[in-house]
Amino acid sequence: MDFKSSPFMYAVGSIIVIFVLAQSTFFLVRAIKRGKELGIDSEKMKNTALQSALFSIAPAISIVATVIVLSGALGVVLPWIRLTVIGAIQYETSSAQSALNAMGNAAGIASAITDPEQFTTVAWVMTVGSVMPLVILPFILKKLQKGIGKAMGKNKLWSDLMSAAAFIGIIIAFVGRAILGTGDKKEDIIGDGAGVLSITGLVSSVAFMLLFSFLVKKFPKLKKIESFAMPLSMFLGMGMVLLVNHLLPSAYLIEWRY
Amino acid sequence: MKSYFDKTHTWGRIWTVAALVVFLLVPVAFSIHLNAWPKAEYFFKGLASVAIIFYPTGIIEVISYAPLLGAAGTYLSFVTGNIANLKLPCTMSALETSGYSVSSEEGEVISTIAVAVSSIVTTLIIAIGVLLMSVTGFVKEITSPDSPVYPAFQQILPCLFGAIGATYFYKHWKITIAPLVVVLAVLAFSGGTQVGVLIPISVAVALIVTHVMYKKGVFGKETESVRNE
Repeated sequence: MDFKSSPFMYAVGSIIVIFVLAQSTFFLVRAIKRGKELGIDSEKMKNTALQSALFSIAPAISIVATVIVLSGALGVVLPWIRLTVIGAIQYETSSAQSALNAMGNAAGIASAITDPEQFTTVAWVMTVGSVMPLVILPFILKKLQKGIGKAMGKNKLWSDLMSAAAFIGIIIAFVGRAILGTGDKKEDIIGDGAGVLSITGLVSSVAFMLLFSFLVKKFPKLKKIESFAMPLSMFLGMGMVLLVNHLLPSAYLIEWRY
Repeated sequence: MKSYFDKTHTWGRIWTVAALVVFLLVPVAFSIHLNAWPKAEYFFKGLASVAIIFYPTGIIEVISYAPLLGAAGTYLSFVTGNIANLKLPCTMSALETSGYSVSSEEGEVISTIAVAVSSIVTTLIIAIGVLLMSVTGFVKEITSPDSPVYPAFQQILPCLFGAIGATYFYKHWKITIAPLVVVLAVLAFSGGTQVGVLIPISVAVALIVTHVMYKKGVFGKETESVRNE
């Protein structure tokens, strides 16, 4: 049995799920009680819960898609845990990739991890790399909420821009490798360097995502697909890679940075 | 007597510290079970390149999102993650529909319900998805090198980051150009430079150039669009 998906791993994952459900239920029950004391209409609270549940279904499915993406290298359980708590796609993928690169594994999450030490290193980096908000929240949130709400204005724009810049910086590192990155020369793996297929995946996923954004803006009735647009664009990009590979089998071999 | 807000912060702190301990125990449990501990050198090397971005980003996120999510909503959101694409839209729409302000006690109640329900639904859907994948063995089959879809899995990263990046690039094209040029220049000279090295370079360039452009008023006319995103 694959050590990454043993019953022990699933037991650990289940404990995390139970913890998250317990915390959410605790605050939910407490809020409903307080809402009744304040005289908030029960119907209003029910509608809030229903609306929130419906709102969450599509993004949650897209998170499952990310678990699938990462599970090829990391097994199912670690991505499951990481995306159940704190996780977000950009964080988890870059953390896993960075940990594997640090160990000299150039293929990164493109191939399955078979060494337990590499696996636990990735688990440690992913976990410790993401806990900063939980470390600072107990110290600063109370003061922050009292003061910062009033002081948004210009700083809000600056913080929005800086957050966007940080995200773009991360994304560009991956995009750059798809355009000009070389593959693993030691292993001589075909298809892991920048080439026709990496550009096909990159360009088509960008194009599909922009197309979806345009369609949603143009036809408000399509608003429902908005939450699915990101994972759908990723899968369609992967589909285009397969299509090009099928129509032009030699494309698989064309890597300008092998 | 402590107010509802004060008690919320007390409980929020208790749950957050508990969450921190439980989450850190996960890699401990894996390492003990597999009898495989990471080498300090690899751990710190791997951590350094992500911490340099995620730690400051984590602080920026707390400062940016906390005023919008309410007290309990913030404590819950940062435990379960996926804030910008899930918790924040849920809270905003719940507050808009109910008509309460997040700074009022009623708004605090509504935002807590929205985030808590979202967390429960998301956690359950992910768990069900994982169960289905495990039972059907779907994952193993599709990712093997013999699989007809293997070439697509080899190109996961360009597809994933193309899809995530598209709207960022479109909305913030002024921020995108400089880091892209620098990263491509680095790769043109040293194509083997790994993502762990590229990320700090790319993020530093993006942050510096953005700050300079902000100071020069380049984003002045974009105030509305940025706020509406």
